[in-house]
Amino acid sequence: MDVILIMCAGVLVGAKWFPERHQKKLSLFQLLTTLCLIFSMGVMLGSRQGFLEEITTLGWESFLFFLLPTVCSVLIVYPLTRIFMKEHIKKKEE
Amino acid sequence: MVLFAVLSLLLGIGYGLMDWEIPFLSALTSHSDYILYVLMFLVGISVGLNKGLVGRMKAYGWKIFVVPFGIVLGSMVGGGLCFFLCGATFGESVAIGSGLGWYSLTGVMITELSGARLGSIAFLSNLLREIFSFFSIPLLAKYTNYPTCIAPAGATSEDTTLPMMIRYTNEETVVLSVLNGIICSALVPVLIKFAYWFF
Repeated sequence: MDVILIMCAGVLVGAKWFPERHQKKLSLFQLLTTLCLIFSMGVMLGSRQGFLEEITTLGWESFLFFLLPTVCSVLIVYPLTRIFMKEHIKKKEE
Repeated sequence: MVLFAVLSLLLGIGYGLMDWEIPFLSALTSHSDYILYVLMFLVGISVGLNKGLVGRMKAYGWKIFVVPFGIVLGSMVGGGLCFFLCGATFGESVAIGSGLGWYSLTGVMITELSGARLGSIAFLSNLLREIFSFFSIPLLAKYTNYPTCIAPAGATSEDTTLPMMIRYTNEETVVLSVLNGIICSALVPVLIKFAYWFF
């Protein structure tokens, strides 16, 4: 919930006070915070006890349990968006 | 960007494995919640700068639920298919697929319901889903359409995979992505229990 509230605060700042000429700087800061976030995720994984052992022993089954649900999600969402969100997709990609 | 993302992830894993203590990096990583807050604030500014976005979101109406519906259905079907290839029961397989990428919660819940082995599989598979999402978003954005980029991310589309969404899609999809993440996150615990009870 706090994430949503903070985003809403950002929306307000962007809509009311943020000067458009600083958009490039904004993108750069977004990139830097993104990389920090990914790095933090990596640290969290690496410092998990037995992380490497878990990957090697349960790897195959884990891989299947990741692959099939993910691929099926994409295979179902793609046609659904083509059928029900046609106008929005067209408008956006024009 | 993908290269930087891979590099950041690998450097992070390396730093975590080495058990080093660099004060600045340790402070940074132990406060990753705040990094996410800063990012969300910056994303909010981008959204706010994009005039007319709220009106466009209103135009979606009930169609806002199309993506989360597809994700939930696809994940449960995919989990069910794993039953034929792995040693878990059908209910357990669907439950693991229903994690939608939320590895911490799914790992804990499946461990409580089915023991440590399946709990670890649930943790790893959902973690792999999150990592894969990072790197599949640019490709899906190029070869499918922007809303489909949300599909692999599942419940993580409101936080960890959001940066890639910001980078490779547009403001409208970012807002859809946040809404999808909220819906999927709320559904994960319900879906896991549901899979155990009904399958």
